[in-house]
Amino acid sequence: MSTTTSTATGVREPVTLNVNGRSWTTSAGPRATLLEVLRRELRLFGAREGCGVGMCGACTVLADGLPVSSCLLPALLASDRAIVTVEGLAAPDGGLHPVQQAFVDHNAFQCSYCTPGFVLMTAGLLDEDPDASDEHIREQLSGNLCRCGCYREIVAAAITARDRLEA
Amino acid sequence: MRVHRPESVGEVLALLAEHGDDAKLFAGGTAMMILLRSRLLAVQQLVCLDRVGELRSIDAAADAVHIGATATLREIADSPIVRERLPLLAGTASLVANHRVRAVATMGGNLAEADYASDPPPVLIGYGARARLRSLRGERTVAVADLITSFYETCILPDELLVDVEVPVAPPGVGAVYLKYTTRSVEDRPCVGVAAFAGATTAGTRVVVGAVAARPVALDIDERDPDALGSAYADAISPISDLRGSAAYRRRAVKALVARAVRRAETGETAAVRV
Repeated sequence: MSTTTSTATGVREPVTLNVNGRSWTTSAGPRATLLEVLRRELRLFGAREGCGVGMCGACTVLADGLPVSSCLLPALLASDRAIVTVEGLAAPDGGLHPVQQAFVDHNAFQCSYCTPGFVLMTAGLLDEDPDASDEHIREQLSGNLCRCGCYREIVAAAITARDRLEA
Repeated sequence: MRVHRPESVGEVLALLAEHGDDAKLFAGGTAMMILLRSRLLAVQQLVCLDRVGELRSIDAAADAVHIGATATLREIADSPIVRERLPLLAGTASLVANHRVRAVATMGGNLAEADYASDPPPVLIGYGARARLRSLRGERTVAVADLITSFYETCILPDELLVDVEVPVAPPGVGAVYLKYTTRSVEDRPCVGVAAFAGATTAGTRVVVGAVAARPVALDIDERDPDALGSAYADAISPISDLRGSAAYRRRAVKALVARAVRRAETGETAAVRV
């Protein structure tokens, strides 16, 4: 059966999103990105806008486990997928995810604008490939930008997270 | 703008037949979202392909692989079928942009966008790939070499859907190399991309150069010497100037990279390499 979402200009339709295991009903215009909905309506500020064209990684979220740029994903099309933002990584008791803890332990940030993106790229990789090589980790993170230049600490944190998850 | 989410190819074709040029197809969105949000593209009917499962398959045929239009670059890079039978295409797909883009960007979207600075088209042309276009009027196949007609232009008609790409398997023993030359950062689009398939033509090595002109360039010349081939390509192309390199710079890069790609392919090596 074909689904047609009738969305005349200015008219918003309810969209049900699955974010961090919770169901959220929100309204989004056809051009709204998931990033805009996360920040403006769901008030989840972990995903940030950097470049707006999928190149910097600041807006990274996991969609069905895969890291994607939420600045390029229409909110309407996110409705079929399980979305995880950095706010959804910690355990219910507030305990940090091993990747988050490794970033803290390595001081792998200065301003932290890019951190949620790097954390989710790392978490997505280690979930899929817990034995990822150092080279694979570097390659996975090569599409994320840190303008403070903390790359060395970030890669070290990701490697530590892998070693702890493996142990 | 109306957003449609059809669930079969038949429904997509009906929407395209009804709305013609007012309808635009939306697959991974990595190109379309940028165009839509910058208002470079005004769309009345947005036809999303994410629920059309039948477009996403990667299937092995006798001497070819059929890659569905909405197979993602990540799926192509990771597919055991593509890795075994079209190793250069798998390797090239893994060099495009970054992990997030590859997780959603599609084969059909890559070709339909026809960005001049793109890695897969010269490699697909080197393989002799053909795109299958379907409409309610029928079906036709077009060589990928003819599909892209100019900067961001293809011969796909408004009521046609690119269904899949048929990629012939290169004969065993043929070395195939793609050199992706980037001038800014690792995830950037290529400044020059050179695909070389050793032994693929009667004259020797088939060379296709991408990212230097409106469409990928393949010369029909009887020349075997790698350096002479490099010079021939450098002389024949009218390279563009953009932020990744001036025309003069590209001409010199093409000369060196064509020679290098040909030499590597003729050793029997098969690899897609960022240089």
